[in-house]
Amino acid sequence: MKSLGNKWLFFIVISLLGFGAQYSYAKEPTTLVFLTWKPNQPEVWNRLVKEFHRLNPGIRVKFQVGPHSSTQYHAIVTQRLKNKDTNVDVFFMDVIWPPEFANAGWCMDLTHRFPVQDQEKFLHGPIAANRYKGKIYGVPCYLGAGLFYFRKDLLQTYHYKPPKTWQEMVDQGRMIIGGEKEKILHIYSAQFKQYEGLVCDMLEFIWSNGGSVIDQKTGEPTLDHPDVINAISFVRDQIIGKAAPEGVINYEEPESLDLFIQGKAIFHRNWPYAWSVANNPQKSKIAGKVGVGMLPAFAGHNSASTLGGWQFGINRLSRHPQEAWQFIQYMTSHQAQKILALEAGLAPTRRSVYNDPDVQDRMPHLRAFLPAFERARPRPLSPVYPMISQELQRFFSQAIVNRGSDISKLARNASARIQKLYKLGAMIK
Amino acid sequence: MNPRDQRLYLAFLSPVILVLLCFIIVPIASSFFTSLHRIIIGLPQLGNPFVGLENYRELLRDSVARHSFWITVIFVAVTTFFELLIGLFMAILINHRFPGRGVLRACVLIPWAIPTVVSAQMWRFLFNDAYGMINYAAFGAETARYIPWLAIPGTALSAIIIADIWKTSSFAALLILAGLQVIPEELYQAAKVDGARLWGRFWHITWPLIRPALLISLLFRTIDAFRVFDLAFVMTQGGPADATNVLQLYGYKKMFVEGWMGYGTAISVCIFLIVLILSIIYVRFVGRRLLEASV
Repeated sequence: MKSLGNKWLFFIVISLLGFGAQYSYAKEPTTLVFLTWKPNQPEVWNRLVKEFHRLNPGIRVKFQVGPHSSTQYHAIVTQRLKNKDTNVDVFFMDVIWPPEFANAGWCMDLTHRFPVQDQEKFLHGPIAANRYKGKIYGVPCYLGAGLFYFRKDLLQTYHYKPPKTWQEMVDQGRMIIGGEKEKILHIYSAQFKQYEGLVCDMLEFIWSNGGSVIDQKTGEPTLDHPDVINAISFVRDQIIGKAAPEGVINYEEPESLDLFIQGKAIFHRNWPYAWSVANNPQKSKIAGKVGVGMLPAFAGHNSASTLGGWQFGINRLSRHPQEAWQFIQYMTSHQAQKILALEAGLAPTRRSVYNDPDVQDRMPHLRAFLPAFERARPRPLSPVYPMISQELQRFFSQAIVNRGSDISKLARNASARIQKLYKLGAMIK
Repeated sequence: MNPRDQRLYLAFLSPVILVLLCFIIVPIASSFFTSLHRIIIGLPQLGNPFVGLENYRELLRDSVARHSFWITVIFVAVTTFFELLIGLFMAILINHRFPGRGVLRACVLIPWAIPTVVSAQMWRFLFNDAYGMINYAAFGAETARYIPWLAIPGTALSAIIIADIWKTSSFAALLILAGLQVIPEELYQAAKVDGARLWGRFWHITWPLIRPALLISLLFRTIDAFRVFDLAFVMTQGGPADATNVLQLYGYKKMFVEGWMGYGTAISVCIFLIVLILSIIYVRFVGRRLLEASV
């Protein structure tokens, strides 16, 4: 109803403006359909769109909202694009989708509209994620990277510095829990449910042990390498049911964050948005007591975080590519990214926003995230990534859920299945 | 029957046949046709090559599909057994005359009337590891002892089974109640006169006479349980470690998450065949029983 009201208001305004303005008649505006999921702060997005409408009176943007879960939203977007639905103009893409969408021919090639000199104004990681075979298919809107949140106050009380290694985190946590009288306090909280997030979390453990899951050059799975197996064993033996409650096996981001902001966990892994939630006194019991930094690593290795975030893409069959591009340009402008950062806590992809005095003033922590953002690593880039991810999710879940799991054997099984998928992907080259 | 009549009958039947053809035969045939192709929506360059029974051969070798099959069989066996048992008790109970019987009969159907997605969401909250009512009922304020039901493979599957039993027992009860109501009251009175106890009356009168109704509800429940999807989709998404990855969910993921249409359709066709074979066996069995009962 609201949008209908807006529409009428819009018509009235336009027809009034029509007299004497450069329009000699009230032109029917072009309606752009933006396929997305329900954002955490819809009011901020509405504000941006309103502003866009003001600047571009000839365009109306209509939101079509899908499920919040990336996997379920993916199912809807791919179904509509596959069926050559021309009613979608702009859509939101998870950072792992551009190769798949580009290869399937669903995404418009943006190379001419978004030349390299413009791409360089963005952080490198998200741009690389939007490239496929030398062309670019999306414009990054905001970015994610696994960050390490901790209880500043507790670490101070016990004279600890934020842990540099996973083992140090577990040891510090044990000492703190021993000293605190609180009934429920866990060391760590993160996402270990069998879903996309599990891949992100596990990759961070594996990468920070010097391992990787797939040799990006040859496409050979490297799951049975000792550094991979050791990292997974650590999660199974030291994290699940020990440092973290056993329930994390069924946790996605909201549940794991809930544990942290209830004051029931000392350390927490999450995306950048968690910062504003954890420091919101209305939602969080630990507002003001939160520190943030890079995730720990295994001894002798570097910290690693998984690249996340969302991009705008244009449907290749859209009837309004120029208007769609105008919308994307506005939504990824310095101004819009600044508003998304300040009001919705979303990490900008444009470098200039990090140097904006207002942003630095009101979000001093954002610059602290920058090293993690610059170094964030992409998940395996492949047009068959959704299939690979299902296999990885299955493997990781089986490996960490059962204490007696034979990780090497599971790794060999998963490798064989992933190899088959890569062969499918290789058939098109 | 003269030929003109026959043509008339055919004319009357034709709308039904047409509807059956459009909405049942054609979709099933087209699913089967799709399952003979290699269709991967993310890789349109592959085209849609005809691969014969490749997807089915692959499926037989797929260890995950095998695991999903056994999970589904366990689900079907346990839920059907308990739903019939509980349904039988409920039916006998609400068949008796007592004040408020009408209200109770209506109430029994409530779980069945709630959409599965809603009740699955409700059970997900009940089984929650931090604030779930089931943990609260079991351990009260001792939150340290709370069990993460949906995070342990065994209990996660049990949770889905319990949710299904809660939801569908009343449906079984309804079918069995229909069977109970056709048993003439005189039989019980005669048995009472002959000195038969409660158990004797049940075993010699009720049991043989409701067996057809029981078989029908067995048929319905097995077929329905084999197609379980929504409970697992909402409560666990198939996890942890594939413990609740029932066959339909696996097929759904292949089709809509991975975009592997041919393979996913092959899974659906297999479920259809399993259900079809079960139905044929049951219908023959039930059919014979029904004949015996009416003799």
